[in-house]
Amino acid sequence: MSLEKINNPLNARHWIGHMETDYRYTLGVAGERFLKEIKENARIMGAKCPKCSVVFVPPRLYCEKCFTKLEEWVDVGKRGEIYTYTITTIDVDGKKLEKPQIYALIKFEGAHGGLIHRIGETEKVYIGMKVEAVFKPPNERKASINDIAYFKPAER
Amino acid sequence: MFGKKRVAIVGAGVTLFRRNLKETGKELAYHAAKMALEQAGMELHDIQSVVVGSAPDAFDGVHMKGEYLADGAGAYHKPYMRVFVGGATGVFAPLAGWWHVASGKFDTCLVVCEEKMSSCYPHPQYAFTTIFDPILERPIGMNLIWIFALEMNRYMHKHNIKKEDIALVSVKNKRNALDNPIAQLAANITVEDVLNSEIMAWPVQRLDVSPTSDGAAAVVLVSEDVAKEVTDNPVWIDGVGWCIDSTHWTNRDLYYPDYVEYAARMAYKMAGIKNPPKEIDVAEPYDPFDYKELHHMEGLLLCKKGEAPKLTREGVTQRDGDLPVCPSGGLLGVGNPISAAGLMKVCEIFWQLRGEAGKRQVPGDPRTGVAQAWGDLMQYSSVIVLRR
Ligand SMILES: [Zn+2]
Repeated sequence: MSLEKINNPLNARHWIGHMETDYRYTLGVAGERFLKEIKENARIMGAKCPKCSVVFVPPRLYCEKCFTKLEEWVDVGKRGEIYTYTITTIDVDGKKLEKPQIYALIKFEGAHGGLIHRIGETEKVYIGMKVEAVFKPPNERKASINDIAYFKPAER
Repeated sequence: MFGKKRVAIVGAGVTLFRRNLKETGKELAYHAAKMALEQAGMELHDIQSVVVGSAPDAFDGVHMKGEYLADGAGAYHKPYMRVFVGGATGVFAPLAGWWHVASGKFDTCLVVCEEKMSSCYPHPQYAFTTIFDPILERPIGMNLIWIFALEMNRYMHKHNIKKEDIALVSVKNKRNALDNPIAQLAANITVEDVLNSEIMAWPVQRLDVSPTSDGAAAVVLVSEDVAKEVTDNPVWIDGVGWCIDSTHWTNRDLYYPDYVEYAARMAYKMAGIKNPPKEIDVAEPYDPFDYKELHHMEGLLLCKKGEAPKLTREGVTQRDGDLPVCPSGGLLGVGNPISAAGLMKVCEIFWQLRGEAGKRQVPGDPRTGVAQAWGDLMQYSSVIVLRR
């Protein structure tokens, strides 16, 4: 650890007027690998606990049930099922949205958990509906959950 | 007996609940604490320890809110702590007070809960944006109303529940609140009013939701020895329970709050309650949304899964029904200054069991009541069982 030593107080880092505070978050070890898989391979991965035989989506570093470190990762596919949904009509500030937006919790077969995301290319939505991820083109992906543009109704 | 000492509530107080009160958070805490002490017939110097409950610092806009509220809560030069478990704080704070006294360490503990949500401008909803996972959820644009919409939709889907039946909770609680002098949103409304109110995030509509509020509540806890000295009417804390579910809300069964059940079972076991619907005379489950009262009745084992809407429709949960639920008017009618709303429910059960609830008094000489609060990201539950 090093400390910044300042002899001239004028050299101290300072702000005049309004000071903005924001945060920068790390993706985490499991999070980085998860988002890299989405960015580079357009794959949605889960992490499997060998003890509990549970595949967690999104993947994590450890199993919350038994504290085993999770090292086995599996591709859960880009297709899932709508577990529940909402159609929002107002934004965080309470302002009316131009167009209602569907958000859903999507669960993947054989996996525990799921992803929350937008539903696109449809106005019809129901619980149990099969959907699939629509990825942004590779050059637009930034290792963000928004590299998945949205989920659309899955073709049969 | 659990703990070294049996613990009683001997005084309670609540301030007005309003969208925007002139008083600061400290001043609100002071008023509630003073009322509770007056009802207990005690002075501040009789208090040996203080617990404060308050929800996110972001509402008041004062970081280290516990330290900020200390003087208003009567904690000057006393052993003091703040507890915080999100929306479940209001019932968790008296649990923390319980272990102060049950441990034998203190004979008296003043428990104060405060929230001043109006400081957060333009709307406290904004303070909730940072409660979501910064990597996976915030980039999608999460907001609190719609995660409840997701839960409500799953609950309705699982048991095939109609919105009409859920709306009955809002109608009942807002009507009950007409008899509560502190209430912010007391009203005589109809199911149609709820169904015709603005859609926020389907299936959540404006009148399904409790308001944001300023307010405070307080209770005085004492050991059995002190209780005998100060009152003929102690109300005993006979059961305490608390539990948290997975951090990952996407991994929960959203249709049923099993963490509420675990907390309830813990409290019932301690209180020796084997058949909750028969043995509990009055209940105050947490009702920030109308469907949550139903969800929580089921989690509290007051009925079977999916059965709460039926009991509501049949009038069982009305103030004069077999199992009065939220006779206070609940968060939907009285208001929702988060932690203060939870402790208000404990105060209500205290007054109901002492026969002091005035126009809100449930008939039948109730002896046992339960209050519950719910919080963090739809995952925490705190439960208290009171008996006279
Ligand atoms: Zn495991």
